[in-house]
Amino acid sequence: MSTEVPEGEQAVDYRFTLANERTFLAWIRTALALLAGAVAVLHLLPLAWDETLRTVVGLLLAVLAAIVTVYAPVRWYRVQKVMRRGGNLRMSVLPLITTFAVGLVCLVVLLGNLL
Amino acid sequence: MNPSEERRDPGLQPERTLLSWQRMLILLALVGLLYLRGPLEPGSTVVPEVAPLLRVGFMGFTLLLGAGLGLHLWLRWRRTSHGVRDPRTGQPPLSVASPWAMAVLCTGVMAMTVTVVATVLVP
Repeated sequence: MSTEVPEGEQAVDYRFTLANERTFLAWIRTALALLAGAVAVLHLLPLAWDETLRTVVGLLLAVLAAIVTVYAPVRWYRVQKVMRRGGNLRMSVLPLITTFAVGLVCLVVLLGNLL
Repeated sequence: MNPSEERRDPGLQPERTLLSWQRMLILLALVGLLYLRGPLEPGSTVVPEVAPLLRVGFMGFTLLLGAGLGLHLWLRWRRTSHGVRDPRTGQPPLSVASPWAMAVLCTGVMAMTVTVVATVLVP
């Protein structure tokens, strides 16, 4: 590991920093997938919905993508800091929120097609 | 980390991270392609259509962003002899891409998201 470690900070194993980078990329991919979903709902699929419902679902996905895009680098930075200085990482609720939102959208699309 | 451990993991972690970047770049281009495409039913007026010029611009933006990041990754990958040795420290590099590349990526994805939202809210 690097021999020049700042005062009060620990040397970080490169495998952990790379894992952090991959986690960041996984979040960004999630944001891109949500954005793809938003584009599909808003501009591609001629679902026989009224305009308001389609716009709401599409915008919900897009807003979620924006939140994830902001969260990813912040999370990456926090993890880097914790790895250098020690401490505990708290799990955020965003994975849960994302899961529920995607599930909700799936449900709405399903119902929208059935009704 | 002791030397025997180093030999057991000959650059697998950097390689995984590079592949992770590649998957992200592929997805970036896919989102661009998806936006470029019009409604799935030709002549359908059900879904709003974005101006063709804007769609082409959006696609071009994703390609430029992807190409720039890809070039950065490739140069760094070569400089660190395939992610095994950082020439400055002699140790494995702590990241495959530099933090500013991550910032550029986030800004780019944010710009794309804002564009998608804006073209719906402002007809």
